[in-house]
Amino acid sequence: MYGTNMGIRKRLTWVLIIASGMFVILMSRLAWVQFVHGDELQKKALEVRMRDIPVEAKRGAILDRNGNELVTSISVDSIYATPGHVKEPQETAEKLAPILGMDFDKLYTKLTKNSSFEWLERKVDSEASQKIRELNLPGINFVEESKRYYLHPSLASHVLGFTGTDNQGLIGIEKSYDAELRGQPGRIVTEYDAAGREVPEAIHQYIPPKPGYDLVLTIDETIQYFVERELDKVVAQYNPKFALAIVMDPETGGILAMGNRPTFDSSRWTEEPREIWDKNPAIYYNYEPGSTFKIVTAASALDEGTVHAGDSFYDPGFIKVADHNLHCWKAGGHGSQTFAEVVQNSCNPCFAEVGMKLGKDNFYKYIKAFGLGAPLGINLPGEASGIIIPQKNATNLNLAIMAIGQSIAVTPIQLISAAAAVANDGVLMKPQLVKELRYNGKTIKKIKPEKVREVVSAETSRQLRNLLESVVAEGTGSNAFVEGYRVGGKTGTAQVVGEKGGYVSGKYVASFAGMAPVDDPKMVMLVVIAEPQGGSYYGGVVAAPVFQAIARDTLRYMGLPEIPSQKKPKQPWEVETPSANVTVPNVLNYPVDEAIQILKAAGLQYQTSGEGNIVCKQTPGAGGQVKNGTSVILNLQPVKQNGKDGELITVPNLKGLTIKEAGNILEEIGLRLVPEGTGLAVTQSVKPGTKVTGGTSVKVKFAPPDEDNDAQPPSGESNAVQEPSNITNPYEN
Amino acid sequence: MRMRRGAPDFILFLTVLILLSIGLVMVFSASAYFAGDPEGPFKDPFHFFKRQLFGAALGIGVMIFMMNYDYHYLKKWVGLMLASALVMLVMVLIPGIGMSVLGARRWIDLGIISFQPSELVKIFITTFTAYGLAQKNELIQKFGKGLLPFLLVTGLAALLILAQPDLGTAATLCGTIFIMLFAAGARGGHLTALAGLGAAGVAAAIYFEPYRMRRFTAFLDPEADPTGSGWNILNALMSLASGGLLGTGLGQGRHSKFLFLPERHTDFIFAAIGEELGFIGGCLVILLFILLAWRGFRVAITCPDTFGSLLAAGLVSGIVLQAFVNIGVVTGSLPVTGITLPFISFGSTSLIFSLMGVGIILNISRYSSRK
Repeated sequence: MYGTNMGIRKRLTWVLIIASGMFVILMSRLAWVQFVHGDELQKKALEVRMRDIPVEAKRGAILDRNGNELVTSISVDSIYATPGHVKEPQETAEKLAPILGMDFDKLYTKLTKNSSFEWLERKVDSEASQKIRELNLPGINFVEESKRYYLHPSLASHVLGFTGTDNQGLIGIEKSYDAELRGQPGRIVTEYDAAGREVPEAIHQYIPPKPGYDLVLTIDETIQYFVERELDKVVAQYNPKFALAIVMDPETGGILAMGNRPTFDSSRWTEEPREIWDKNPAIYYNYEPGSTFKIVTAASALDEGTVHAGDSFYDPGFIKVADHNLHCWKAGGHGSQTFAEVVQNSCNPCFAEVGMKLGKDNFYKYIKAFGLGAPLGINLPGEASGIIIPQKNATNLNLAIMAIGQSIAVTPIQLISAAAAVANDGVLMKPQLVKELRYNGKTIKKIKPEKVREVVSAETSRQLRNLLESVVAEGTGSNAFVEGYRVGGKTGTAQVVGEKGGYVSGKYVASFAGMAPVDDPKMVMLVVIAEPQGGSYYGGVVAAPVFQAIARDTLRYMGLPEIPSQKKPKQPWEVETPSANVTVPNVLNYPVDEAIQILKAAGLQYQTSGEGNIVCKQTPGAGGQVKNGTSVILNLQPVKQNGKDGELITVPNLKGLTIKEAGNILEEIGLRLVPEGTGLAVTQSVKPGTKVTGGTSVKVKFAPPDEDNDAQPPSGESNAVQEPSNITNPYEN
Repeated sequence: MRMRRGAPDFILFLTVLILLSIGLVMVFSASAYFAGDPEGPFKDPFHFFKRQLFGAALGIGVMIFMMNYDYHYLKKWVGLMLASALVMLVMVLIPGIGMSVLGARRWIDLGIISFQPSELVKIFITTFTAYGLAQKNELIQKFGKGLLPFLLVTGLAALLILAQPDLGTAATLCGTIFIMLFAAGARGGHLTALAGLGAAGVAAAIYFEPYRMRRFTAFLDPEADPTGSGWNILNALMSLASGGLLGTGLGQGRHSKFLFLPERHTDFIFAAIGEELGFIGGCLVILLFILLAWRGFRVAITCPDTFGSLLAAGLVSGIVLQAFVNIGVVTGSLPVTGITLPFISFGSTSLIFSLMGVGIILNISRYSSRK
């Protein structure tokens, strides 16, 4: 007998069916979560569980045009804490504070913070990092980061620039090519629990960083040396407010050298006052070019046909323009002269006349065509545009004054580019600093020279260059004369314009713009000495000798043939200086130490360029006659590997050697040393006995031997001076 | 009228034991990292497992006892059950007797162990309702004389549970009684009105309680506040999704283990199952509950007397409803409400009383008319 009535059974059956149906709905919902949205949610889950430790990419090197390294990156340790793993924050902070030179409270706060990653100190020196490693503190970890290493402190500092703590470019090439140099950071991804602790058997993932591109500059390290050397000299002599020299290849617009004084050490920029590194005067300084601008005026007038070299002029010592008397620098004037002589004499009244004759429209047309009044677009941050009176406001008087390089402000880079156009048969090139980008030693992008426009004809240029040669040979620029070469140029002496307009009395800008050889110029140079002190301030006296010295060494270094007949004509007031001439001895292929001794014995100075210990090139060459005390440039290179190309080299055991010893051994057999730390070699990246190809880098860790460690005085004081954080840099972020 | 006792429903018995075993393993797997945390309060990976094992042993004892205790005798206790149910629900609300955990007073502290009276109350009210409905028989069609007493009792109990507050349990209780009223033959009009009233009640309970409202909005859009109100459901979904088809393997769950999934061994244990055992494991658990429902309702259908039939139906409904709501919450199909997964979630009280309910159903099955 069925005790339960049929109604209940029927209804319960319904309940069962509905219940099962609802569970089936749950199953489909489960499938929807696990499959339809599965990937997306799984990815999200990983994101929630995984945390990143960034791994910095190796910043690209900066090389000169011949591939010599100017800036590289070296490996240093940065220290971070994983607060969840720090066992005894109190004790840990006490131990770390003195080594890192940090405040105990600040450290303690970091160590107890509720986070999984806290930087303690970035880029600590190897000694401190070694000490901390030895303490073996739980929760304190190390990350290898790279630090910028400027191989030649204060060489082309404004051009190269520098980087901040995160290796971000702040100034110079480092900034303008930051994206290329930077590379792509990698990551170490680790799995954490919700309390911020690394979990057992955590998933680790290493995403390697992609190193940045290497930059090959148009800068020539050797020419840059000449520039730096001569700037140092002129600073010592005249103590100017600042001094700069730019050397350019007129055919490509490539900057061969660019130097400024005062300068700074790129690796210690935080210790220098901001106004020194903040701006690059060579591209930023707006100044009245004075007579050097007559190159532009003369080129315009010759090209337009307003004047010809043989036209005659008369200079009574002044010219009257709109009730103003414009005086010539020479009292009484130059009298009757041809245009060639006008240029030679840098005669102001006659140039004013030429400017007015040229007329406003024509003059402005050429000024603009020469690239003045607007940035040229050199790839450096902070280029100024110069200041030009708007064309519609310009009066006749303005024209007359502008023709002699006043009432117009230009930047050094603009003026040299204009001069380079004259050197380059009238074609203005865009000034460039970077020649190519390399990745892993392979060129991946060449930056082609950029023609801006043809400003004047080749014929005009040729004519003007001959006039400029006569300025040096017979006129105001005689101090720029380089024996053996045909040099052309123009001096300039202008008064400094005060902040409120009007000239500041007693403050001058002495400059010289020149090129050589004039028949086919290979280099153009501008030297600007602002506010020289100690009497002389004429461009021909202060700036021309700087030009002469740099040009002389550069032309020889470039290997341009000397013309024996090209002797400096004796000026009547000149007295033969009793400086003995020395014949340069041959040091080619000598080891560098020996070469230096030979040069010293001969009464010569030396300067090295490049890396290595064998002289592969010397400038000037053997047999050349130079003055006593002249510097001979030694280009160095590592010893050539005696094995044939492709032959493998066996890596030696370096353990226990000093950096120098290890470096010598590796260099001798054709390998490179990448040292890390100081002291004696402990480990090496390539095992002894391994066969590698020539030129392979061997990373070697050096550590101080224990007994030495105690004997050495604590050097924490001097080493702890890292970029202080209170210096705020406007270029960060 | 006495009948000879037969053997209990073996499939139901086995289903429950399988669910229980899955629960034990998963409670251990999900809680071991948290419980074994050297910096945590327990420092013993087996902390929860041991307690669950104890609860399971006790529960199986109770189940076997109830399996052999003639359910007809339960009728004698109905009055006492009703009274004690109401007393317990009032007591749990009194500070000093009721234990407050995470802002809810759901437990009574009995010294060594604490227990959750609402679990027992569910069985008592179910028994009372089954008894009452069996008495009323055709009268259930009437409202005043038939339906009203049950509504009053259930309503009062539900309100007291809601006061703890425990909306999930209150709703499950009401749902169970609703199914029993439907099974007993209440009028469609009445039931429709009741369902509407219940829905309105739940809506009001959500609307007037800010934390429920937050949970509800988080249910609609968990991404709006991923680290706040959306945290639970988001991490439950991430855990489930991390499992895929086959799961990460037993003990290999990561999201559910490493403290991202909240309530990982209690309310959200189904997410841990989904991660470690995958879609297959999750479906297995759901299928086991369907099996349990089938066998449970089969017992109710084949029971020779109305009391037994309604009692079995009520008890199995209670379990199945709770499982449905729990899995619904974990899969993001229902707003979050603190309710455990029967036989699987950690919690001795829930385990013991769920097994007690199954014990009663098994006893009823021994009188089945289809033997």
